[in-house]
Amino acid sequence: MSEKRVVVLGAGPSGLAVAACLRRRGLNPTILERSEAVGSTWRNHYRRLHLHTVKEHSALPGLGWPEQVPTYPARQDVVDYLEAYAAKFELLPRFGEEVTRVRREGDAWELTHTSGSTRADAVVVCTGYNRVPHEPTWPGEEGFTGAILHASKYLDGSPFRGKRALVVGAGNTGAEIALDLWEHGASSVELCIRGPVHVVPRDLLGLPAQITSLRIMQHLPPKLADKITLSLLRFVVGDLSRWGIRRPKLGPVSQVLREKQIPLIDVGTVALIRQGKIVVIPGIERFDAEGVHTVDGAAHPVDVVILATGYRAGIAAFLEGSEGLLDERGYPTVFGAEAAPGLFFVGFRNPLTGQIHDIAREAERVAAAIAGGGR
Amino acid sequence: MTLFDHWHPVALSRELRRRRPLKVTLAGADVVLFRDGPRLGALDNTCPHRGFPLHRGRVDAGQLVCPYHGWRWATDGRGQAPGTPTARPCARAWEAVERHGLLWIRRAGSDMPFPFVDISGHGRVTTLRRRVQAPLEVVLDNFTEVEHTPPVHAFLGYPLERMAEVECATTITDDAVTVFNRGPQRRLPAPIRGVFQIPREADFVDAWTTRFSPVHTIYDQYFLVRGSDERRGPALRIAVFYTPVGPALTDLIVLAYASSARWRRPLLEAIRFPMTRLLVRIEVGRDARLLDAMEAPPVVLKGRALGRFDKALTASRRHIARIYRGEGEATGG
Ligand SMILES: Cc1cc2nc3c(=O)[nH]c(=O)nc-3n(C[C@H](O)[C@H](O)[C@H](O)COP(=O)(O)OP(=O)(O)OC[C@H]3O[C@@H](n4cnc5c(N)ncnc54)[C@H](O)[C@@H]3O)c2cc1C
Ligand code: FES
Ligand SMILES: [Fe+2]
Repeated sequence: MSEKRVVVLGAGPSGLAVAACLRRRGLNPTILERSEAVGSTWRNHYRRLHLHTVKEHSALPGLGWPEQVPTYPARQDVVDYLEAYAAKFELLPRFGEEVTRVRREGDAWELTHTSGSTRADAVVVCTGYNRVPHEPTWPGEEGFTGAILHASKYLDGSPFRGKRALVVGAGNTGAEIALDLWEHGASSVELCIRGPVHVVPRDLLGLPAQITSLRIMQHLPPKLADKITLSLLRFVVGDLSRWGIRRPKLGPVSQVLREKQIPLIDVGTVALIRQGKIVVIPGIERFDAEGVHTVDGAAHPVDVVILATGYRAGIAAFLEGSEGLLDERGYPTVFGAEAAPGLFFVGFRNPLTGQIHDIAREAERVAAAIAGGGR
Repeated sequence: MTLFDHWHPVALSRELRRRRPLKVTLAGADVVLFRDGPRLGALDNTCPHRGFPLHRGRVDAGQLVCPYHGWRWATDGRGQAPGTPTARPCARAWEAVERHGLLWIRRAGSDMPFPFVDISGHGRVTTLRRRVQAPLEVVLDNFTEVEHTPPVHAFLGYPLERMAEVECATTITDDAVTVFNRGPQRRLPAPIRGVFQIPREADFVDAWTTRFSPVHTIYDQYFLVRGSDERRGPALRIAVFYTPVGPALTDLIVLAYASSARWRRPLLEAIRFPMTRLLVRIEVGRDARLLDAMEAPPVVLKGRALGRFDKALTASRRHIARIYRGEGEATGG
């Protein structure tokens, strides 16, 4: 009996975890990775980034975090961890192999990649939730004399010292970049938050928000979990509407479940907003040469605009016949199991309990499904 | 550029109450701090009207009220004279911010970066301020060499008889001075070793980087099994800021953190955190008392007999002159 040919796309946390789980089950998957090293997204994130999930719930199957790494590992700690992980499970991705097409042919999958093509019985797509930067556009943008930069290209605030900066986006990245710009001496920092958003401190009463979600909230009915969280937030964070941050009607737990919107995990930005160091502004209507105009009619002259407007998975770009498999925003709808014959996705869900935590569990399930299933 | 352009911590958050202003002194300049809700105000302490010291006033509705004629000052320096409603007096405001449990000020209009202390995922052990009678340079000297640890310190550091074995590597870059020390940890009482999980035969690493905007040192201190790479117990990360008060007066402002988290082992940490806090306070107190006893120490290093542990000192002096005090800068450029 010849061995099942399994190809894993991507050597980030998801790809490495799936490959390790497959190896432990006696399979020897091929990993195709477009960049030159494992964990490429973590090599390129902005410098000060740390996991906001705790290390004991951010480990991949089979390897814990080293003792000396602090609770929230730094970006470089994550890169080191992924390298150690690949070494431990003897994972040797083929680097510089961008997969441009995945197609069903007969009873197998045909993959086209940089150096040629490969046939596989099973394909695991681990190309990441954050593959393609999402860059919205506004009228008048062409005439803007300042610079526009997506957060994926932002390393730190040093180039923007003395500049008037605007950050667009109410996610963790936008909030932390605003903080970073302020620290690096930007002459003014504005943060554009369009709609209502829940703000949750990374540590609530000394306990990491992830621990609270994992150990308490997850086990309660969402309505009750929302009630408890909201009264806690009212006490700890208070009402931020004076500073332009409105709280959504739906509670934070239901919001994740129903609208897939995770709350903003605060690492210090809110304190600066309250002190007037970072100014929250409403949605952008248009640009002009000097800056932006917001929906309330106000003009905001700025030198640089950072788009922390998120990413898309961009799976349809390489997966043929993906229509039935993806939701309206392009994310897979099946997790931890076969989405189509011999086709699996790992790493496309973003629960309150942490994505890496989820990846670790999905990887095991997918590996079991591949190793256990018939040919 | 002057040293007022750097962000200096000038007080602990807990030293400034809601309604009572606080006077601080940065390099001879008296500044009054007060709160307007979450906002922090910092003004020159001399009332622009007739020069009454504003720190003797009170805070009312987020404004500082001068006790002499009742003029009111907002956090941005804008004033109101109750007797002359049309007047628009203005006090000189500093930029002020509250972060890491400290109150910081810099000259308004400066664009100097805020010092980065990477304490993500660390638990706070203590925050303290201690005034010492010595010039900033002399204080920094003490805090950037380990040769004084055997005679001066009680717990952390190396035994005098084995000081010669201590490795000391100094790296100097454009904006930083980094020192790495490793050597045999001196004998510690068994209960301390137990609580901190330090093996009987341990090496102690004391490594730090000093930066100069403002002048501060960030330490990483941890234990290893002697002669191996195996780390043991939690690491300490301590940031020490040296804020000049006057020519021979310096505030030591210390932020101490541990790499362990209270929620992980609540019982052990309920002992370990207060104990670490006590250790840090004792050791900083010893440095401070030593510096107080130096009595008008010479600031100039030239002509002194310096040893292998003193390399960082000379480099730091150059960095202080250039980066911190802006000496030797081209004027008008
Ligand atoms: C700023 C930020 C902070 C985050 N913080 C946390 C956190 O604190 N905790 C947490 O649990 N999660 C966090 N996440 C979410 C998630 O855990 C990480 O993004 C994680 O890296 C996801 O792993 P992945 O392997 O699924 O994707 P990625 O790490 O993105 O890896 C995908 C890999 O696939 C490769 N690839 C893509 N397309 C192709 C192709 N066509 N051919 C070949 N290779 C390809 C890429 O080069 C990349 O190496 C964060 C995400 C972001 C963006
Ligand atoms: S001196 Fe302050 S109000 Fe007159
Ligand atoms: Fe000392």
